[in-house]
Amino acid sequence: MSPGAEGTAGILIENVVHSYRATGKSLTVLDRISLSIKRGEFVALVGPSGCGKTTLLDILSGLVELQRGRVMVGHSPPAVGRPDTARMFARDALLPWRTAYANVDFAMATRNPDRERRRVVIHELLDDVGLNGFENAYPRQLSQGMRQRVALARTFSLESDFVFLDEPFGALDAQTKLVLQDKLLRLWEKMQSTVVLVSHDLAEAVALADRVVVMSARPGRIAADIAIDLPRPRCRRRWRAPPRTMPSKKRSCLTATGSAGTGCSSCSGGSFCW
Amino acid sequence: MIVIGVWETLARTGLIPAAFIGQPSKFLPLLVDGILSGKIAVAALDTLSATLMAFVLGGILALATALMLAVYPTLKELIDPYIDAMNALPRVALVPLFIVWFGLGTLSKVVSGVSLMYFILLYNTLAGAQSVDPDHLQLARSLGLPRRQVFLRVVIPTAIPSIFVGLRLGLVYTLLGVVTAELIAGGKGLGSLISYYSNTFDADGVFAVLLVLIVLADALSMVMTRVERWLTRWNR
Repeated sequence: MSPGAEGTAGILIENVVHSYRATGKSLTVLDRISLSIKRGEFVALVGPSGCGKTTLLDILSGLVELQRGRVMVGHSPPAVGRPDTARMFARDALLPWRTAYANVDFAMATRNPDRERRRVVIHELLDDVGLNGFENAYPRQLSQGMRQRVALARTFSLESDFVFLDEPFGALDAQTKLVLQDKLLRLWEKMQSTVVLVSHDLAEAVALADRVVVMSARPGRIAADIAIDLPRPRCRRRWRAPPRTMPSKKRSCLTATGSAGTGCSSCSGGSFCW
Repeated sequence: MIVIGVWETLARTGLIPAAFIGQPSKFLPLLVDGILSGKIAVAALDTLSATLMAFVLGGILALATALMLAVYPTLKELIDPYIDAMNALPRVALVPLFIVWFGLGTLSKVVSGVSLMYFILLYNTLAGAQSVDPDHLQLARSLGLPRRQVFLRVVIPTAIPSIFVGLRLGLVYTLLGVVTAELIAGGKGLGSLISYYSNTFDADGVFAVLLVLIVLADALSMVMTRVERWLTRWNR
């Protein structure tokens, strides 16, 4: 570790090969994956199901052991429960016997022993994701979209430098998805964390990420690595259709559709749309 | 009311002899008399105290066993067949043995109750602990929660609803276990009263005590439901 490099290293993935043993046969899911992600970058991994994107995320968050290759998250290899990494799952995984607040606290307390500080942060986060007034609701009383918001707040309550999201909005309806994508963007801007998002929704990936890494089907290889140089801050809800004019940075504001802009403070001002 | 009316008519007309099924107009006054004279209360108290002792003792033993088996899965595999075998034993057949081992007093009644309570709660608790959502375990893992914490804060809360099903069922079965022991061993409890009345061919007496038992079992079950509702209020 070079002196002064603390807190500046991103994610390094070098020649990662991973295979599963299924019914006697060995199945390669990741084939010589190399990828370097800068600190503070928002990278989306897209690809068909079975291309190993979740496995890659599992390796990064330490849930799956690295078989071959080299991976560095920050200055050290990935490990489960590292205080500087957070993981969000496709399903909300909320504990049904805990309220929305207590669910966020469940995670945050593992990182932060200061109850008072937790109280402030959690209230702020629940407010950020639009759950003001639902702090004491049990998961059963919340809609699926609202539960996923709690999970989003829980993930960011860890105040981690590296955030790994595994299809966090996959199970939601289109409208709720747009709203939550915006919430995610706002949280990311606020926390300035490095985000790796696994998605099968190309529009989502393009709209949110700085870079979209496209993976090919089994064995998973990187097929393309595309920089998305759309200006920030972005507002997802203004782009009702996937931006077709994407590569040319031509902006034409064809929004003004129904709910656009509502509840998204940064849209009205300096954000861009086309 | 209708049941009692039909019952009374059947007994009066002799369609079914009153000696077999009793007669409400006879056992209801008998019941009131028993309540007023305190005879029922004394017997009920005796039965209830043994029931509560068995409930608490069996409950603690079952929870402790379940905890141990959940923490050491290998141990569970090892002793699972023995638990199943012991649970398959008909408890009524064991009561005479309990009497030989523990005497004619309260202890053999309590043991009889425990022998039912223990297994019911043990099975329910284990089933509950096994129903942990894999998503929750994954989350706990990703947060780096130590095993003990996972157990206390994920596994046990998950098992609470089935623990309560076990407690509620177990309480009623404990009462039955105690009454069964009383039927055989005698003493002061409600079971002994039933045994006394049925040995003197007094169907009215038997039904009077059975009514008391029904009310008791219902009341116990109701108390448990209340406590359960409060503790699992997130579940609604």
